[in-house]
Amino acid sequence: MEKYGIGQPVRRKEDVRFLTGTGTYVDDITDEALAHAVVLRSPHAHAKILSIDTSEAESMPGVLGIITGKDWAAEDFQFIPTKSAVAKKIDGTPLNQPPRHCFAIERARYVGEPVAMIVAETREQAQDAAEVIDVDYEELPAVTDLRKTIETGAPQIWDDIEGNLCLDFELGDKEATDKAFADADHVVSLDLVNNRVTATPIETRGAVATYDADTDSYKLQNATQNVHANRATFADVLKIPADSIHHVAPDVGGGFGAKNSSYPEPPILLYAAKKLGRPIKWINDRNEGFQSDTHGRAQFSTVELALDKDGKFLGLRTKTIGDIGAYCWTIGPFTPTGGSARTQGGAYFIPAMYYSSVAVFTNTMPTDPYRGAGRPEASYQIERIIQHAATTLGFDPIELRRKNLMPEDSLPRKTPMGLDVDCGNFPEVFERTLKMTDREGYASRVEESQKKGLRRGFSIAAYLECTGGAPKEFAGISFGKDGSATLRVGSHSTGMGHETSKAQILAHTLGINFDKVDFIQADTKATPIGGGHGGSRNLEVGGNAVLKAAKEVLEKAKVLAAHLLNSNADDMNFADGTFTDVKTEQTISMDEVIAASFEKGRLPEGMEPGCMDTESIFEREIISCPNGSHAAEVEVDPETGMVHVQHYWVIDDFGPIINPMLADGQVMGGVAQGLGQALMEEIVYDEESGQLVTGSLMDYALPRADSMPHMELGYYEDAPTAKNPLGVKGAGEAGCCGAPPAIVNAVLDALKEDGVTHIDMPLTPEKVWRAISEAAK
Amino acid sequence: MPVISLTVNGNPVTVEVEARSLLSGVLRSNLALTGTHVGCDTSQCGACVVHVDGKPVKSCAMLAVQADGASVTTIEGLAKNGKLHPMQEAFREHHGLQCGFCTPGMLMSAVALAEQNPDLDDAAVRKGLEGNLCRCTGYQNIVHAVLDGAKAMRG
Amino acid sequence: MYDFTYHRPDTLDEAVKIFSDADDPQFMAGGQTIIPVMKQRLAMPSDVIDLGKIGELQGISIVGDTLTIGAMTSHAEVASSADVKKAVPALAQLANDIGDPAVRNRGSIGGSIANNDPAADYPAALVALGATIHTTSREIAAEDFFTGLFETALDEGEIIAKIAIPVPDKAAYMKFPQPASRFALVGVFVAKSGDQVCVAVTGAGPCVFRATDFEKALEKNFSADALDGISISSEELSTDIHASAQYRASLVTTLARRAVENAA
Repeated sequence: MEKYGIGQPVRRKEDVRFLTGTGTYVDDITDEALAHAVVLRSPHAHAKILSIDTSEAESMPGVLGIITGKDWAAEDFQFIPTKSAVAKKIDGTPLNQPPRHCFAIERARYVGEPVAMIVAETREQAQDAAEVIDVDYEELPAVTDLRKTIETGAPQIWDDIEGNLCLDFELGDKEATDKAFADADHVVSLDLVNNRVTATPIETRGAVATYDADTDSYKLQNATQNVHANRATFADVLKIPADSIHHVAPDVGGGFGAKNSSYPEPPILLYAAKKLGRPIKWINDRNEGFQSDTHGRAQFSTVELALDKDGKFLGLRTKTIGDIGAYCWTIGPFTPTGGSARTQGGAYFIPAMYYSSVAVFTNTMPTDPYRGAGRPEASYQIERIIQHAATTLGFDPIELRRKNLMPEDSLPRKTPMGLDVDCGNFPEVFERTLKMTDREGYASRVEESQKKGLRRGFSIAAYLECTGGAPKEFAGISFGKDGSATLRVGSHSTGMGHETSKAQILAHTLGINFDKVDFIQADTKATPIGGGHGGSRNLEVGGNAVLKAAKEVLEKAKVLAAHLLNSNADDMNFADGTFTDVKTEQTISMDEVIAASFEKGRLPEGMEPGCMDTESIFEREIISCPNGSHAAEVEVDPETGMVHVQHYWVIDDFGPIINPMLADGQVMGGVAQGLGQALMEEIVYDEESGQLVTGSLMDYALPRADSMPHMELGYYEDAPTAKNPLGVKGAGEAGCCGAPPAIVNAVLDALKEDGVTHIDMPLTPEKVWRAISEAAK
Repeated sequence: MPVISLTVNGNPVTVEVEARSLLSGVLRSNLALTGTHVGCDTSQCGACVVHVDGKPVKSCAMLAVQADGASVTTIEGLAKNGKLHPMQEAFREHHGLQCGFCTPGMLMSAVALAEQNPDLDDAAVRKGLEGNLCRCTGYQNIVHAVLDGAKAMRG
Repeated sequence: MYDFTYHRPDTLDEAVKIFSDADDPQFMAGGQTIIPVMKQRLAMPSDVIDLGKIGELQGISIVGDTLTIGAMTSHAEVASSADVKKAVPALAQLANDIGDPAVRNRGSIGGSIANNDPAADYPAALVALGATIHTTSREIAAEDFFTGLFETALDEGEIIAKIAIPVPDKAAYMKFPQPASRFALVGVFVAKSGDQVCVAVTGAGPCVFRATDFEKALEKNFSADALDGISISSEELSTDIHASAQYRASLVTTLARRAVENAA
């Protein structure tokens, strides 16, 4: 029991099928009657769709049907609305939301926007037909740069949305902040790019839609990260009852936020399945994915920090332009507004803060949450401006951080952004991380690098972020006579290991056999509600739902145990899977109690066979604050600008760690994505034509095994949060918050003698090389 | 339509294919061996790696007809008699996988790497996995798994 | 991709015949370029002629001072060949850094040079080494073989049979990879034979070229310092999202210096 308890690095149950190639991902689903769909996408960034001639395509071999934007419009379906939590401009009027239909109807507004869907017996036949569809486009000027799009004279993307502006936003105390700046001894300012990136899970998106005419209902098997919310959205679009769609996700090959989004293809697929009377599979190509998966980040900010003469932070002011692409996507407008405002200032004590931003439209694929969704942006901003303040004003960068971290005794504290920072010991975590990095040996490592003609740099970044995602979660536990237990949850693991970690919580709490816990997730028939994945909520909300349900089972089991032992429930003690009557010392195991729960004759009044089965809903009242410190040492080749991260250290405060092996995995994966953003990833659209230049893995660089440093990880578990019974703080996105600033600042540290003070992400070799040669002038 | 005869995971197989059919497609569709995954269009991601005549090959960059007469091993052929291959055990032990999508190709590359290099170290593993992308793990656990698995394979 | 008729002849003569009889034929070597291109529907040959079974195209040998590599020799075979490692270790290293292990098991030297991707590695090596490409109809000096962007001197239906490489005194290849594709953003191959030095550059422009200023300086003094103050013009070099022409020009110098330092 101990082996499978909370806190143990239990090996994963789901691994057996993944390791043997017997998992079922959406493209593995087969059916004799399966037809195949291909999406015809706009090749233009901005163009009027004058006409679509499908006559030749329709008579191609194997073609079963073609749906165009015009056909879709004739059905009068709804558009997909945004669910952004920030929905109003500063003046209180609603944000500008253009109608996001599943197809481009009169105009295409980004390369990759769906224009038609072709269904045929085979995928090749659908592709053949797609090629002969004649779309008459009239190209329009496009704008893909987030600063250019709000300039006077920029192409108008939406006729009735002036200046390509979605909304403006502010948070914090402008007056107090302006005063802090006015009174400050020092003010430093920095313009920062947070580069547009894309999640690139190794599995592309796809779905299989089936329609049953007898029951007028649908089954949608979808590589999604949120079956319940998306089902509701798709049902609204199609104007059908939500419960007429059975939405399930099979095994999903990663998502990182990009598979949370409400996409246009699934509703079209559902419609087509009904119209054509065939189950239909659609799988996105990787190249299509670059065009049509939601992108992330894409912000330009001016960050200012006010300090007193001793380096104490007095105020933080951030102004951001956030590029949300051609439409408001699922939560798109929230990321550069509320999402980036909440955690301004991070783990630092800053008495006055003001954040303002605009979310703007461009002729690009819209942005939606990508691992961190606003918090990596805020972390990057504070850590870069602090580093900039240190180098500009001559403060030691480590000391400057140290003296400004929120002290333990200042908590709980509500930041000027309204974030409830309840617990943590940021200075302690900072020191412990620093200790891991062997500062004493640094000078000799610098020398070693110099001998090879390389520069070496170091930096440490503190981060404080917050969780998010849907606050409610369902857990259902049912028992079998064979001693098995089935756990149904509305949360969604796409690699995070919940089959294991949630089974751990259940097994640990009830003392039952971990190996006999079956796990069901991502199925609208299995759970009445579900928050899916997102905002690092899976343990914080999902895990607590399991704990809550398990505790309810425990209570019932206690009553039954007492009955079986002829005792009082009050005299029952439970430990290590066994109930003990403290008075008589009689015992009965949980397994025995559960077995007895099926026999009517053994039950007390008021309990029926199967009474141990329990369903529970947990609601998170308030988000928690994962935090930590990341440190990096890098080597830079000044002749080529090549950067390699040599070593990396992290200590995270996620509260109590349920499964340290899984937590490590989340941190390292997040660090890798952060490293990718810092050094090599960037979605590039051609400014003139609006074409997507980085349209494949030939041009979009992902970190490989040899890109990664050795990472040393640790946890600070002495500040569990009181905000939820497990005390956990959400671990999944933290890596993305700490890595970009740690790495970028380390590179700048390496180049400080060269006089380089700033380089924008990604720090490609050429950019680094240029920065060095420019600084030399 | 061409008919090819090959051995797949030790079993002789004869299948009618199109000339344009990719080995990955034939494995997945005709032979229902869906463990081999397709993750990209440009032969970069490595999710499709299988062994052809003992050597790792990207099955998405090989025509099925080219495998006529060959011996192919897929992920489904690694475990024997219900027992995991030492490399599979190592991946599980070291948490060298999360979503599992890159895992089959990663394992096939890892096994080939271990078979060909008696002297693997961290750097050699990282270079040897240049053709296998993972977005979940950050690779560190994969590297530990490969080193451990290689040791176990040597017995 | 579009369908086609597949052939896998056993001899070069058969291959040539099939080619001349077909409507729109395409030779296939390792398939590592042509298959992805066909998958994107950017090429649609009526017939694909697989050269993989032709024995005459296989094999590596050294006779006297000439290393000969069959056109269908895989990158993996070149990388691990004792003959290549002995005669031109730089070539084995170059081959070992093409793509990744799986790609190296299929990709071939003949396929690579017939394609002449501006970022491929072999063109720089063969030009710098003064190799001779033996085809089904003639012998072509490497310098004359690579004629332009994805263009070679090969006639329609002409097949590369083998590549003959004079063994140099020393050589080295330095490659700076494009971070996404890992092709050569710039690659410089330096070869010294007697008094002659050849420096060939790939990745920097539309086609492999010799850095003649570098060669002259190195012939006077074969050391990295001999290249001090010598650079190449960025005028004819490529600019794309990964690198500007100026950066590529700078890399040429840096990589040339490092190649000289590592020449063996």
